[in-house]
Amino acid sequence: MIKMLFAIWLGKCIGWMSRLTGGKSSSAPGMFALKVCPDLIRRLSGNIRKQIIVTCGTNGKTTTNNLLCSALEAKGYRVVCNRLGANLLSGITTTFLQECSLFGRFEADYACLEVDEAYTIPVFDQISPDLMIITNLFRDQLDRYGEIDITTDILKRAIAKIPDVTLILNADDPLCAQFGCIPGIRAFYYGIGEKVLPQLDDTKEGRFCPICGEEQEYDYYHYSQLGRYRCPACGFHRPDADYEVRGVSLGTPMRFTVNGAPMSIQYKGFYNIYNLVAVYAAMDILGEKTDDFDRLLKNYQPQIGRMQEFFLGKPVILSLSKNPAGFNQAITTVNTDERKKDVIVSINDNANDGRDVSWLWDVDFHKISNPSLHTLTTTGIRIYDISLRFKYAGVPVDHMEPDMKKAVTQCLETDSEAVYLLVNYSCLYAAEAVLKELEKELGGKKNES
Amino acid sequence: MNHEPEKTLHILHLFPDLLNLYGDRGNIACMEHRLTWRGYGAVVLPFTCESTRFDLSDVDLVFIGGGSDREQKIVCGRLLEHQDALRNYVEDGGCLVAVCGGYQLLGEYYKLEEEMIPGLGLLDIRTEQGKGRLIGNVVLENERFRQKIVGFENHGGRTDIGSHTPLGKVLYGHGNDETSGQEGVLYKNVVATYLHGPLLPKNPELCDYILQNAMKRKYPDFDGFEPLDDSLENRANEYIVQRFTSK
Repeated sequence: MIKMLFAIWLGKCIGWMSRLTGGKSSSAPGMFALKVCPDLIRRLSGNIRKQIIVTCGTNGKTTTNNLLCSALEAKGYRVVCNRLGANLLSGITTTFLQECSLFGRFEADYACLEVDEAYTIPVFDQISPDLMIITNLFRDQLDRYGEIDITTDILKRAIAKIPDVTLILNADDPLCAQFGCIPGIRAFYYGIGEKVLPQLDDTKEGRFCPICGEEQEYDYYHYSQLGRYRCPACGFHRPDADYEVRGVSLGTPMRFTVNGAPMSIQYKGFYNIYNLVAVYAAMDILGEKTDDFDRLLKNYQPQIGRMQEFFLGKPVILSLSKNPAGFNQAITTVNTDERKKDVIVSINDNANDGRDVSWLWDVDFHKISNPSLHTLTTTGIRIYDISLRFKYAGVPVDHMEPDMKKAVTQCLETDSEAVYLLVNYSCLYAAEAVLKELEKELGGKKNES
Repeated sequence: MNHEPEKTLHILHLFPDLLNLYGDRGNIACMEHRLTWRGYGAVVLPFTCESTRFDLSDVDLVFIGGGSDREQKIVCGRLLEHQDALRNYVEDGGCLVAVCGGYQLLGEYYKLEEEMIPGLGLLDIRTEQGKGRLIGNVVLENERFRQKIVGFENHGGRTDIGSHTPLGKVLYGHGNDETSGQEGVLYKNVVATYLHGPLLPKNPELCDYILQNAMKRKYPDFDGFEPLDDSLENRANEYIVQRFTSK
């Protein structure tokens, strides 16, 4: 008990100090508190009255987790949520620390936690989620995870620790759906049950049957290995979705139905349909009414960089992509915008990005070449790598500009109608800072005139 | 206008459907482009799980990439059928580029914790799984090349290359086995290495060395490549060298 209180006080002190000095304290307090009291999360999770919902998966976990949190809050619940995406043990501990009193108490109905796939085992040693959403599995940050088979293996071992969990799985992703084959596991599936996008020949790394290794047959693809698949050798196939999306129209707003119920949503990007239907499924499984789903999502503030729009004389859209699947989706989204546009691609190789940038060669960058592309600029720590990648993609780079602010300013001066800024993880905050700064500067000018 | 190039290389890409980790397709694109940019022909022949005819008689360059341990096992099972053909090809001076998992496959075996994957035995090397993975940027030096060789390694296996000549001396990174200070193997016209990144785009001199070997073997009258504008390639290479080796 004493140990736990000391850990809480220590964590809270570090949090205060770091805020005083202007730092973002999303994981340091938890890291130190865990050193004092390694089972702190387990002890604190006793405060959660109803259920713990964990979201894992390569892409979309922050959006899905935060959407679910907003939807539950809109129902009037108190929810603990690692909103900023600090999804390692230390980040989750910090989230709980921020919530609790000096005596280790807090009031919460639900916990919505996104958890990094690689850390599910130590996290599930501490807490037993009631629901676990797995969004998708793509090749990502290879130098941290090794290979996709390793991630799958970790998730299987993690799930074995929590046999009473209910899984919510993306039916369209064979790598996800395979977890529903675990003996005795309870699983629900969601998916998009019709062909929506033009059939691209993008990189499909997971198209081999996760059960037996044969190449699967597809009726259609959504993107990467997502689609309607069937293994000719062992019979593994896309499971029937309990939450089936149909009638998709990708305008603004996007329209589609879930099990026949119409939805109209103000989000860009096909992949957001998955995030939304995963949340819909979770709400339904939690026993919450979903007939007012549109209203539940109204208060959701997208995290930065999720097709986040700024206005700097013309729209500037910031998009975070961390891996080939994400980048290919971002490029598809850029291409569906027919306005004349400038595109900036920024690539860093810091620890958070994965220090290995070879994944750039698995992105179909040649598809960015398009009649509406006006100029292309490269920037970031790995400016030479991304420029060389474009050389081989046969897309001329108009500007190599190491300075992010200059790169953006140059694009503002062209006669394009929109600017897209595609960045990987650690470029994101720098990019956002530059855009906010420019917003202020330009706003100031507007007032003068 | 559309006349056939005078000289053409046939590149056999082994199992692009299984061994395609770490941007390996960039290596193929690099070899292809560095030939066509100079007006030579390049024909890439994928050999996949579905392919049946394995014939090296008209092949000038073989590329084999990396995959997960599971994928590597499938590939090895299939390639063992063609062990003799591959050995004759290599001994006859055939060009072969092997990266990461493909590199391990060329040896006698790859010993995992619980099992042993037999290799093709083209090189007298042995790989054993060690504790933890060796991950990070790498810079190599070989007097044969003016340019340093840069890349990224990510392997659980430790490779003992016996009396083989390494591809380079490790200036930064782990290399074959963490301790020997050596990376990869150069044997006849075989270039085998753990480096991806992918390997070739940022190492234009190494890529040209490989292509020239293939050219010389096929066309006795071949008298070398004219240079290309490699300023971007060289800057990308030098950036890595500077960042990791200058103190």
